[in-house]
Amino acid sequence: MQMFRGLSYDERNAWLLVAPVFAVLVAVALYPIAYSFYTSLYDIVLTRPWRRPFVGTGNYERILADPQFWIAVQRTTVYTLVTVAATTILALGVALLLNEAFPGRRLLSALILLPWATPSIVNGLMWKWIYDPSYGLLNALLLKLGMIERYTVWLGDPAKTLFMIANAAVWKQMPLAAILMLVTMKAIPADLYRAARVDGANAFQRFIHVTLPALKPGFMLVLVYETMISIRHFDLFLIMTQGGPGDASYTLSWQIYVETFRSLKFGLGAALSYILAMATFLLSWMFIRMLGRGMEK
Amino acid sequence: MIAPRLRRRLGRGLLLGFFSVLLVAYVAGPVAWLVSSSLQTDAQITAIPPNWLPPEPTLANFEAIFGAKSEVVTYETRRQGDPATTRFLPSGAENLLPSLANSFSVGLWVALLNLVLSVTAAYAIAVIPFRGRRGALYAILVTRVIPDIALIVPLFLLVRALGLVNTQTALVTTYLAVTIPFTIFILISYFESIPADLYRAARVDGCSHVAALRHVYLPLALPAVIASLMFAFLTSWNEFIFALILTQNVAAQTLPIVISGFVMDFTTSFSFVNAAGVIAIVPPVVLAMLFERYIVSGLTAGAVKG
Amino acid sequence: MARIRLAGIAKRFGAVAALEKLDLEIADREFMVLLGPSGCGKTTTLNIVAGLEEPSEGQVFFDADDVTEVPPHRREVAMVFQSYALYPQKSVFENIAFGLRLRGMPSDEIARRVRGAAEQLEITHLLERRPSQLSGGQRQRVALGRAIVRQPRVFLMDEPLSNLDAALRVSMRTLIKKLHRQVETTVVYVTHDQAEAMTLADRITVMRGGVVQQIDTPAGIYDRPRNRFVAGFLGAPQMNFLAGEIGPGGGDFRRGDLSLAIAGTLQPGRKAILGIRPEDCAPAEGGPADIEGRVTLVSPLGSEQHVNLAVGDAELVFRLDKGLRVAPGDALGLRIQPERLHLFDAQSEERLEGARP
Repeated sequence: MQMFRGLSYDERNAWLLVAPVFAVLVAVALYPIAYSFYTSLYDIVLTRPWRRPFVGTGNYERILADPQFWIAVQRTTVYTLVTVAATTILALGVALLLNEAFPGRRLLSALILLPWATPSIVNGLMWKWIYDPSYGLLNALLLKLGMIERYTVWLGDPAKTLFMIANAAVWKQMPLAAILMLVTMKAIPADLYRAARVDGANAFQRFIHVTLPALKPGFMLVLVYETMISIRHFDLFLIMTQGGPGDASYTLSWQIYVETFRSLKFGLGAALSYILAMATFLLSWMFIRMLGRGMEK
Repeated sequence: MIAPRLRRRLGRGLLLGFFSVLLVAYVAGPVAWLVSSSLQTDAQITAIPPNWLPPEPTLANFEAIFGAKSEVVTYETRRQGDPATTRFLPSGAENLLPSLANSFSVGLWVALLNLVLSVTAAYAIAVIPFRGRRGALYAILVTRVIPDIALIVPLFLLVRALGLVNTQTALVTTYLAVTIPFTIFILISYFESIPADLYRAARVDGCSHVAALRHVYLPLALPAVIASLMFAFLTSWNEFIFALILTQNVAAQTLPIVISGFVMDFTTSFSFVNAAGVIAIVPPVVLAMLFERYIVSGLTAGAVKG
Repeated sequence: MARIRLAGIAKRFGAVAALEKLDLEIADREFMVLLGPSGCGKTTTLNIVAGLEEPSEGQVFFDADDVTEVPPHRREVAMVFQSYALYPQKSVFENIAFGLRLRGMPSDEIARRVRGAAEQLEITHLLERRPSQLSGGQRQRVALGRAIVRQPRVFLMDEPLSNLDAALRVSMRTLIKKLHRQVETTVVYVTHDQAEAMTLADRITVMRGGVVQQIDTPAGIYDRPRNRFVAGFLGAPQMNFLAGEIGPGGGDFRRGDLSLAIAGTLQPGRKAILGIRPEDCAPAEGGPADIEGRVTLVSPLGSEQHVNLAVGDAELVFRLDKGLRVAPGDALGLRIQPERLHLFDAQSEERLEGARP
């Protein structure tokens, strides 16, 4: 028919409008992604660049057999869980607060953007200073409140490291998550609350039966987004702990960095990246499946 | 005896007030401390217990940043500096201002180019019914699944092959690829909330697709446009890993890189580093505050008057 | 002005067919109404005429030109929408002028035309306002102004009155009819409201599920509906339907005890559905009655009354003069002319015409 005679007006326009974006993405994203995958199939170590045998899944096998990898997995899992959970819960609380009408609310809404606007480098630096074992604010504050007896080590304590870094991450990410949830909350029709009040529900019950269910899509969106980001956090680790102390904060991202840029094992680093990418992809896929049942788009 | 209604209102007010104060402390506290630290000397900073507010606020740290000249770092000059008691400038302090300029320049380019590219693509995907529209969107979003670290080495090799190391072009293009998926997502959500009848009216009135974009969609999508600009600028201001790898010499480096250099240097004066942090924080915070209303409504798809 | 021809149009979304085998010819300056329930494909058809959607199959012609591939902004059509679709950030003047500006018309010519249209629609005093400051009726007038000012080949209207309240709807209907006579341009009008269709149309195309049911003048559709769906869709209250069969003589319709003479003869024993319009009856007033029943409900409307009559196991509705005194529980007899009865095949629901000698 007419349709097969080349592209229609609409289609020509559509592809023309989308082409520039594709061009940029192909160059900067697609090519490196493909090249990265290609690299992961070879045993490339920059200290002996003359020998680069093809190993196929060899790198992947080595990684899976490496106990350090599993430590990294554990660290990453703990970190991601803590960060995502804390971010989501805090964001929910903040969103609930901002959903109420009270004087100064506009100011507060603007104020919470402060952490979001803070560059992650500054974020890391700021908290590192706060955590400082000798001069830090945290020690001073807790001492004053009587919660600790003397200045303690925070970042440098392997049991606490991940949580301290997570705290910095949550501080920065919470505002965006709160805004996303607030936006979803505002879309809840007022009539639902009115019906609930007439039915006799108090504030808490209204929250459980009206707010929470309607928040599901926003919740899911936040969970997916936060997980995707947290799982690959790097900047904070570079600034604050560099994987240490020991391997207390040795996450997958850090391992990738170390293998690629310090040990110069490009093949291995690429393979690790792909494993991380697969994990992220799978998790997002899972969440989106669950999200897809909640809402259409 | 307070009437129950009044009591409830007071209770609510107190509760809201309490949590509001908590929130403000949580959000602004660390930054306030950062600012306060930057206005103190090293001696004051390292006092125990710490000075919450600067006893005599001093702009010495900022002066050092804005007036730093390249100091010859020898064993002598280093030894003279005891980080805990006197001001000691890290080597490379003079790079702060140029890197600030770089960050600004890159940020602006990214914001503008991102807008042009994202708006056109978002319009096509959101509005034009064409085969492969879904696939196009997924392809764009999928590029963000691979962690940045995985992309660095091949990207570096590509950039080097093109002779673009240390150029703003490389950074801008990279950041475009990083920011486009998110901004496209925001714009598409917003475009989709614009009533379809308006599109039909415009097309029938005589608008080609580009004209419809210009006359109907862009004016109505202002919040989303601003949110995108903000996001693009902030992300590139913020960005660290790519800048680290793609810029090797100090002339081309952006602010985060230079600051990270200070932090790594363990003889650095804390108050100086804090001052650098304050400078890094000011532009994004000012922008975010100014455009807060647009950012929030830009993220809200579905609030369009039709 | 244009003669429109849709030839073999089909529109499919995957496995779902929104339109099938659509052939339609609209004469120049004709007011054609596409009528049907939601989802019947009338808006899709309109979009295809406008060029906003491309058909999966088939062609669209304006006069002798094949415009199937021509995008909407080059087709010289104007459209009016249910939601008015006025540009919110432009003034009324700019809204109306927009199409002309896009075509590069000189400003004084634009001003002349816009003011002309505004006068015609009595909205001159609103020209500097924004759409948000106008009422629904005013907005729709602006939308009409936007359409007529461009002097298009075709006017397309997508349920333009559905968002207006009842009284406004009637006055706007009159306005549209007057405008049509003044501008002498082909109009394709989509609606689900049969009263609008009857009053406005030169011809009506009744659609259902993507398939054309009947194309005819309003009188033709009303008096000689081609199938049960069309018969039931037009007319309020809805036509009464009774399932039954043709009597052994072929000259009457039987259902239980009920027997009604029909015009002409049909095959005896054939299963059929009888249709009686509520207004096609008269009280028997003591004389011989064709239908007898018991009144179950009386609904006075001021100008007339609607009476629900239980006839055997069925309940029928009739429109009777308000002077007739009836109350629930009364027995009532009615006379009906055989020519006014409609018969449809029980299976195919197609219209049956009795054979005449």
